[in-house]
Amino acid sequence: MTGKQRKQFWNVIQITLILIAAFIMLIPIIWIFLAAFKTHVDVYQLKLFFTPTLENFGTVFDAPYNLGNKLINSTIVAGVTVLFAIPIATCAAYSFSRFRLRFETSMLVMILATQFVPAVVIILPFFVMFRDLGLLDTRLGLIMVNLAIVMPFAIWMIKGFIDGIPLETEEAAMVDGSTRVQVIRNIVLPMAAPGLFTAGIFCFIIAWNEFLFALILTNKDAVTLPIGLALFKAEEGDLWNLLSAAGIIIMLPMFILALIIRKYFVQGMTMGAVR
Amino acid sequence: MAQVLLKNITKRWGDFVGVDNQSLAVADKEFLVLLGPSGCGKTTTMRMIAGLEEPTSGEIWIGDHVVNDDLPKDRDVAMVFQNYGLYPHMTIYDNIAYPLKVRGTPKADIKPRVEKAAEQVELTEFLHRKPKALSGGQRQRVALARAIVRTPKVFLMDEPLSNLDAKLRVTMRAELKHLSRQLQITTVYVTHDQIEAMTLADRVAVMEKGVIRQLGTPDEIYNDPSNLFVAGFIGSPAMNLINGSVKDGYFITTGGTRLVKVDGGDRAKVILGVRAEDVDIHESGQGDIDVLVYAYENTGESVMLTLQFGKQRIIAKGDRHLRKDMDDVVGLRVNPDHLYLFDSETEERIRY
Repeated sequence: MTGKQRKQFWNVIQITLILIAAFIMLIPIIWIFLAAFKTHVDVYQLKLFFTPTLENFGTVFDAPYNLGNKLINSTIVAGVTVLFAIPIATCAAYSFSRFRLRFETSMLVMILATQFVPAVVIILPFFVMFRDLGLLDTRLGLIMVNLAIVMPFAIWMIKGFIDGIPLETEEAAMVDGSTRVQVIRNIVLPMAAPGLFTAGIFCFIIAWNEFLFALILTNKDAVTLPIGLALFKAEEGDLWNLLSAAGIIIMLPMFILALIIRKYFVQGMTMGAVR
Repeated sequence: MAQVLLKNITKRWGDFVGVDNQSLAVADKEFLVLLGPSGCGKTTTMRMIAGLEEPTSGEIWIGDHVVNDDLPKDRDVAMVFQNYGLYPHMTIYDNIAYPLKVRGTPKADIKPRVEKAAEQVELTEFLHRKPKALSGGQRQRVALARAIVRTPKVFLMDEPLSNLDAKLRVTMRAELKHLSRQLQITTVYVTHDQIEAMTLADRVAVMEKGVIRQLGTPDEIYNDPSNLFVAGFIGSPAMNLINGSVKDGYFITTGGTRLVKVDGGDRAKVILGVRAEDVDIHESGQGDIDVLVYAYENTGESVMLTLQFGKQRIIAKGDRHLRKDMDDVVGLRVNPDHLYLFDSETEERIRY
């Protein structure tokens, strides 16, 4: 074999290995994807070729499942969480990044430490608290919980992006005639935008997929999509075809967001290139 | 158009003293260079003038106002940063226009002024690009254009040339000099490069450890250093500094060599300063003393000889056609007209 042939040979091997790995990881998703288009009878047969049906997607939105309500709940809860989390986290991150604060390190560690506590440990106090406040089974309650979950993450992530903006750029803007607020609006926010966007999407995904708190704190009105999946456990067994259809509806926004992130992620990482 | 006045300025961070009770007056339209090694407080001094750093004590005047409590934006200064501090998300046009926009200049005025500034630094064809698409020298010029687009009271430049390669630095230095003569605006310029200081400055303030060690014209700083630090810092190669004493009208090195005639009476512990160009090299036997060639370096424009007698070494600058080898014996004579004596204890200049 010549050098070039050998290189090609290894390329083929590499690609094959990658494909195998990807295939293994994708099996569950492929299975769900196929099952979503099968009839209840076909699900239990590992058929790759079958007559696809869109019936499942219709059924999940009908009574008694009413997945539409859950979709609305999930969208509102995740959306509002991001809407509040990003501006608040940006303020916090900017302060941590640019000002010398008292107990700065301790505060940063404490913020992160809230993430170390297993959700199961604090879920009961939450339940009691929310019951007393009348926040059980409300979207507002879920939004508050999700905010608490995503904030530390958002603060740390956005702080990283703001740290990457050279201080000189801000100082230049101040000498050029800007107030601190103008510096933040004209310089920091545009430069950190890819970072804010990335953080926002990550927060949305976390809130969208949040399961445990939603499971305990909701039962009817504010049920979100992940909890809604439990509806498809019927007397005749698990309704895999409906479950799969609902699963795809949950995953779809994630796929779209992942594609958007990819573009911004690269932007975010090359942002500091101008010196 | 304004003078800048620092009155007893001190900057302390905890126990660390950045600038120690210094006063400095920069005259209207003067180009003053703050020169010193890194960590000497020169940048801190400039940042205090800009308002990016608050002095621990003392007063800062720009024009006829105390500006201590003014925000940077209200001080009417323009600053060029070492890393340029450009706005990467804006085009060159918007970068240059920013100081005008943010100060509420009428839209109709902005365009001609940006174009004029861009023309002065030869950037006209790049106005639509982003900083990322420019070279280091071009970015530097954007930073300059952004500073000159307004007519500020004071220009502040913080090592603006230090990120450029050697060749570009020389070109930009000349451009800066030309520009500053044209604009006639009070300028404070920070650098650790003595060539920049010598070539650009009307006056140089040499700083060390938060203290201005000497303030004077480039000529004074070079030819009439007032203390050991300035003498050793200015000049390339650095001035020869030789420990010894003065006895019977001669300077005697610590090693006991009678080197050169010095007036002004006997002194126990002194340091003699001689610039390399004031050390003459002769054939063996024709100088005051015979010395060994320790190293011979040809820089092209001149030759540099490191000469050794006893444990003492001394650097001499010779004619570019001079050819010597290691361990050759040459005659050495120190020109007695350009000598500097310093007190070993106080490091101050002894004038005689």
